[in-house]
Amino acid sequence: MASLLQPDRVVYLVRGEKKIRAPLSQLYFCRYCSELRSLECVSHEVDSHYCPSCLENMPSAEAKLKKNRCANCFDCPCCMHTLSTRATNIPAPLPDDPTKTAMKKAYYLACGFCRWTSRDVGMADKSVASGGWQEPENPHTQRINKLIEYYQQLAHREKQDRDRKKMARRRQCMPLAFSEKYGLGTRLQRQRPGAPISSLSGLSLKEGEEQKDITIEPAPALDEVEPLPEDCYSRPISLPEVTTLRQRLLQPDFQPAGASQLHPRHKHLLMKRSLRCRKCEHNLSKPEFNPTSIKFKIQLVAVSYIPEVRIMSIPNLRNMKESQVLLTLTNPVENITHVTLAPCEDDDPDDINSTAKVVVPGKQLVLAGKDAAAEYDELAEPQDFQDDPDVVAFRKSNKIGFFIKVIPQKEEDADVTVSFKIRHDFRNLAAPVRPSEEGGAAAAPAPAESIWLTHHVELRLGPLAP
Amino acid sequence: MSVKIAAGAVVCVESEIRGDVTIGPRTVVHPKARIIAEAGPIVIGEGNLIEEQALIINGYPENITPESEVEPKTMTIGMNNVFEVGCVSQALKIGDNNVIESKADVGRNVILTSGCIIGAFCQVNTCEVIPENTVIYGSGCMRRVQTERPQPQTLQLDFLMKILPNYHHLKKTVKASHNAS
Repeated sequence: MASLLQPDRVVYLVRGEKKIRAPLSQLYFCRYCSELRSLECVSHEVDSHYCPSCLENMPSAEAKLKKNRCANCFDCPCCMHTLSTRATNIPAPLPDDPTKTAMKKAYYLACGFCRWTSRDVGMADKSVASGGWQEPENPHTQRINKLIEYYQQLAHREKQDRDRKKMARRRQCMPLAFSEKYGLGTRLQRQRPGAPISSLSGLSLKEGEEQKDITIEPAPALDEVEPLPEDCYSRPISLPEVTTLRQRLLQPDFQPAGASQLHPRHKHLLMKRSLRCRKCEHNLSKPEFNPTSIKFKIQLVAVSYIPEVRIMSIPNLRNMKESQVLLTLTNPVENITHVTLAPCEDDDPDDINSTAKVVVPGKQLVLAGKDAAAEYDELAEPQDFQDDPDVVAFRKSNKIGFFIKVIPQKEEDADVTVSFKIRHDFRNLAAPVRPSEEGGAAAAPAPAESIWLTHHVELRLGPLAP
Repeated sequence: MSVKIAAGAVVCVESEIRGDVTIGPRTVVHPKARIIAEAGPIVIGEGNLIEEQALIINGYPENITPESEVEPKTMTIGMNNVFEVGCVSQALKIGDNNVIESKADVGRNVILTSGCIIGAFCQVNTCEVIPENTVIYGSGCMRRVQTERPQPQTLQLDFLMKILPNYHHLKKTVKASHNAS
């Protein structure tokens, strides 16, 4: 029954700016605000850039210069896989003696997945293993660069005018360099639609330099357009020659229509990002700098703080008949956790998806702490928790199985969904030492006190039995 | 049960060959490969490489044995083909220099010409002639045409013909006599 363990069966509600329902494995927990956070209520920041195939790190400035592409690796234009360099021996005349031929190594690019080679587009074999391959030049680069320069200058001038007006109005001593230094990272500079393009102004010339007036000629409008070829409608199409839309749009400079013009492009860089809680500005997730390492410096994921509910077995569900569903609760922390379940009230605004009534056990459930050494410690006595056999089906280290009763209310084809509230105690070990504690600096930090957290959980149990 | 293995072919004893099969010289058949000629004879050319758990079967369509006598059709396989691990080939006519990659499935009504590459796990069971130098790849069986045919695996064949006899017993070679002797 692996389908019962699918992550989207059990979702937790996140009360942020938007109400998001997501499985616990995709959520983060801010232990300073003591709240669940999802990917949409955190701010994402770029940490570093790296190439996914050669795992080379690149500082952001260099990445921007190379247009976020790796210098060594290429992508197959046909199937987007990474290209590998292969060598063949070709007979080539020796430079000293033209009559004798010796075997020289020639290198070409080949894709292991779709068997595309660089010889297919007519690229000659190179004599060096790496660094010999060039991307084709875009014929419009000069015009584009000139346009970019002109608009940079325009944006700079507009920003200067705006800042001058602001200074004249408010008479603040905010240096002009302040608005230039910070880009789109801080909230002050988030781009609003319709505002002048201030992002480009950060890259322009320094203040004191004289700015040449760059003028551009407007693009000329042509009267005559190149006519279509004569046999455009009558020529039979050979499908292997035509590029697919995806292949074409991956190269927006050229957008070749024929497969013989598909040149390989450098591989896109990927980035490592760190997440930050928007309310308290603490880091929720910070990966390591090294691209080869998958560990995190800071990893505040929800699975390691909040008890997780999972569905273990579902009997046949029938409309308006009570059935018992077996769920499991796992305790991720090392101390004992007390959990209380409560059904949702009738007029609960969060309860929109449930199609069945649920009867949860009213008693408090006690979960043992997660003990990593438990399996090796043979002398430890199993803790006696005195479980009610009607409620608790089994208990195994930090996990218990318990029953809930489900009464499906609607006779629909859709899945039966139930929701309830789960309330547990949470020991906040990261809480800052409160200075109001008596005892002065010599006192030990106050023991972390428990707070009670409530989460709204929704379960998708599956269709009614036919 | 006439299996004619030409001199120079390396056929391991652990391979299963049933029916009327002719194997040409310089062909290597790995252990656990299966060549089954049920509904007609199979003729395999030279320089082919048939890897482990490959299945070349000349069977009745949809495994239904016809009640009346149907004329047996010969399955011909040309030269320098590669049947990678775990592939299934039922194509009646295979040309030269084709590569059928791992776990690919080629149906009975497909005719492979030369230089075709059927990618890994691709199932080709249409009723067509695959043009030369076609590559079928990807989960959607996308196709493209390559400009040159895949190289014959001569290095690999030479190596195997040297090494396999060191570790496996080989089936006896019989001169495939074309003239009535």
